[in-house]
Amino acid sequence: MHDLTILLLLPVMGAVSIALVPAQHDKIIRKLALLASFAALLYSWSLLYSFDTTTAQLQFYETTVWNTRLGTSYSLGIDGISLPMVLMATLLSLISILASASIKNHRKGYYLLVLLLESAMLGVFMAQDWSLFYVFWELTLIPLFFLIDHWGGEKRHTAALNFVLYTMGGSVFMLISILVLFDSTPEHSFAMSDMMARARELPHNTQVLLFLGFLIGFGVKMPIFPLHGWLPLAHVEAPSPISILLSGVLLKMGSYGLIRAATTLPEAIISLQNLLATLAMFSLIYGGLLAWRQSDLKKMIAYSSVSHMGVVLLGIATLNIVGLTGAVLQMVAHGFVAAATFLLIGLLYERTHTRDINHYCSLVRVNPRFAFFTTMAFIAAVGMPGTAGFVAEFHALIGGYERWGWIVVILSLGVLISAAYAIRTIGRLFTGPVQCQIQQITDLRKTEMLAASVLTAGFLFIGFFPAPILNIMSASLNELSNVFAVRF
Amino acid sequence: MYSVIYNVWLIPLLPILATSWIALGYIFNFNRGESGEAQTAKTSLTAASLSLILILIIDAYAFLYSAPGQLKLSPWLISGDYTIYISFTLDNFALAMATLISTISLLTIKFSVNYMHREAGFQRFFMILNLFSGAMLLIVMAGNAVFTFIGWELAGVSSFLLIGHSFDRDTATRNANRAFITNRIGDAFFIIAFALSFIWLGSIEWNDILNHNAGLSSLQIGLIAGSFLIAALAKSALFPFSPWIARALEGPTPSSAIFYGSLMVHAGIYLVIRIEPLFVIDTALLPLLVLIGLLTTLYGFFTSLVQTDVKSTLIFSVTTHVGLMLFICGLGLFELASWYLILHAIWRAYQFLNAPAHMHMMSRPTRKVHPLFKNFTRLYTASIQRFWLDHIADWLLVKPIEELSRDARNFDEKVVNRIVGLPAQATTITSLDENETSSDIGKGHGMAGKTMEWLASILGWFEDHLVLQGGEGRFIKLIHHLGGYVLQIDQLLSQPRYLLILIITTFVVIL
Repeated sequence: MHDLTILLLLPVMGAVSIALVPAQHDKIIRKLALLASFAALLYSWSLLYSFDTTTAQLQFYETTVWNTRLGTSYSLGIDGISLPMVLMATLLSLISILASASIKNHRKGYYLLVLLLESAMLGVFMAQDWSLFYVFWELTLIPLFFLIDHWGGEKRHTAALNFVLYTMGGSVFMLISILVLFDSTPEHSFAMSDMMARARELPHNTQVLLFLGFLIGFGVKMPIFPLHGWLPLAHVEAPSPISILLSGVLLKMGSYGLIRAATTLPEAIISLQNLLATLAMFSLIYGGLLAWRQSDLKKMIAYSSVSHMGVVLLGIATLNIVGLTGAVLQMVAHGFVAAATFLLIGLLYERTHTRDINHYCSLVRVNPRFAFFTTMAFIAAVGMPGTAGFVAEFHALIGGYERWGWIVVILSLGVLISAAYAIRTIGRLFTGPVQCQIQQITDLRKTEMLAASVLTAGFLFIGFFPAPILNIMSASLNELSNVFAVRF
Repeated sequence: MYSVIYNVWLIPLLPILATSWIALGYIFNFNRGESGEAQTAKTSLTAASLSLILILIIDAYAFLYSAPGQLKLSPWLISGDYTIYISFTLDNFALAMATLISTISLLTIKFSVNYMHREAGFQRFFMILNLFSGAMLLIVMAGNAVFTFIGWELAGVSSFLLIGHSFDRDTATRNANRAFITNRIGDAFFIIAFALSFIWLGSIEWNDILNHNAGLSSLQIGLIAGSFLIAALAKSALFPFSPWIARALEGPTPSSAIFYGSLMVHAGIYLVIRIEPLFVIDTALLPLLVLIGLLTTLYGFFTSLVQTDVKSTLIFSVTTHVGLMLFICGLGLFELASWYLILHAIWRAYQFLNAPAHMHMMSRPTRKVHPLFKNFTRLYTASIQRFWLDHIADWLLVKPIEELSRDARNFDEKVVNRIVGLPAQATTITSLDENETSSDIGKGHGMAGKTMEWLASILGWFEDHLVLQGGEGRFIKLIHHLGGYVLQIDQLLSQPRYLLILIITTFVVIL
């Protein structure tokens, strides 16, 4: 069996084995889930050994024709852009399962769904056929809908429904684009490479329309203003471990898809470049300012995600190597940072049952570990030098400057706003009187510390030694940027 | 024997290493308290003896053959088109000075081991003492202006630390500050001097500055020499920088005092003698040396006459002699000045170390006013007031700067803060209620903050009313609504008459 199929099936096997265990053995179920996601993590990271960083070719490629008449095929493969995403997905899945200790009701269903979700996410990043991509894309919705709807907060039903409706609404446009593309290829094949070759021959206007379809589909997920309506509610209402996956991996699916769509329709994105940049900068400021207004910590992080994904969009819109590097790096950086913040806030919420920032003060005196890791996470969210966010934002800034000049100063403004709310939050953690409710709560436990330290080490490592990850991405991004460079 | 010369860098480094070792010991808690005194003393004595032995070896070499002179060891800093070398000047004068400093340091350390016994800050004192002797050695042996300056600064810092040794006393800290800041004025000119020589000569090696400066006009030479001179004036407490040296006596008696009595106070004169070639080229500065020397001598002489304690008397008499040295330099007798310097240093070291013992051995009534002042009561007042030098400095420099900083602060608070919007005066939340009610979420300060707040509230409204509402309620309502229509159409279509119409229309379209 091929490497990627094994990777895809590992969580599924975990889910199947959980399904076979009677529901009352919930400890076994949790262990099984941990085991499956840990196996997937090890397996995906072991791919690094055989991954060739010098070539932009798809690696570990496998393809089997699925339906000859429709031209669909089961083809998987990864390159320098999808590999970091795959690694992130397996890592954050494990961390989210680690952080799920507090989920007490219907554990069986919960872990089953999380593992299915992991598999679907991996499928999105590995699919090399648009039909398969679409299948996995939609497949993520089903576990997520139930996870939010069943284990979420107070307004979980609205949130879940809202989330699915938004994503489906966007997907419809994406599906139309895919179908039109399919229709225009004489071979009638859904394979990404075939479609790419044909799509580039289409008339310019058609390309733009097709790209807009993709943009709506992926823009909902990313999210891009004004398609982010589902996000605050879903992030707040989802159980915290799921919030980690939502913001850490699910959002990246949108930007990842956008990069793939851009490769398929390069002329379209070149003519829409300025629109994308405008949207990106607006998202950046919009998300930042709204995050600054929130007193609900989870909502604040949710909006800061909008702001951070603006950086990704800006990086993509530059269409040059530096900017694209910044975009992919920001996807990784935000994965770490958002996961860390959601993890910590989730764990705090578990103990205090409040997410209002006004209820937290002098956390450092009672819970120094919490305060330390939260501070680190917020510092990383600002993109301080020495954290992954800095490297990413710096690349995006330089890429943007090459393309638009001084206008990208707005990016710095966005960073400034993010500093405003992050520093305020840190300030809250360190000053003020000690509240008696907070005095009761226990500090981070060992497994929780492990999860938090892995994430902290992750963004610090990339911040100090960005070379390894840049090395993984460079060949693919080089080829990608060449696609645009010859068309300017 | 010659190979020892290449290890000359060890001479100033050894005492500094001793400092680091004592500091490490203090941090890691292996030499604290009384039990650590022996170890601290041993470290300091070893370092001082080793560097003295090294110097003596080089001395012997110089005695047998000739002084090694200029020595370039290796590049220290390379950037762009300039290189700064680790270099040493080992001519006769430098060697003599180094021997002198090393000997006096060693003796002082030996003396202090007993003197400081069971005093608070024993380890700290030795740290500074070692640092100081390393710095002094660096000053006299460095081959270029940068390394001299490093020593110069270290000496300044350690004198600051020595004066403020008992930092719990208000006068000690105030005097330490005053002495340090006065020294900083000189440091600024030192930097100017080597910056100028760097710009004009492209090098800061003493050798190049002093001997290969043919390309410069006498004005340029004068500027370089003048800047070095001001640095020297500040360090040696010459006129008009004299008052700081009396404040230096705050340090622990007498170990720190011997530095102001015998070593550091001569650093400035050393610098003047070192840059002698510059004064020879640009003779216009020599009368200035004479004048300053004379003024300092007079200042020291009159002030010392009215002092009532032994240390102050001694320190002002030191000032007198240092002034005389500068005076002699001004006459062009640099050789004589260097002899004077060395002899004076030895004598003062002995005198300062002995002074407290003498005080213990004999008691004497307050000495009478010197007969000289009998007819010059105003001179007496002036001497008592130390010629108002401190007050003049306060009035000329300190006050205007204080006022300027007050204005700057006002501007900062009333204008800049309001525009930029720093968080309002750091409010301390004292009670829990206050904490809950005084939420500052989404509140900005200053113009930028208010703009941000205003913009954020508009966007917030937009978000709440259009984006979220669309998601939460209206979007779903709309779908329900549309669903209703579709259902109605569907029901209509299922009725035979409409189905018929549909079929007919289809046929019409097709045909």
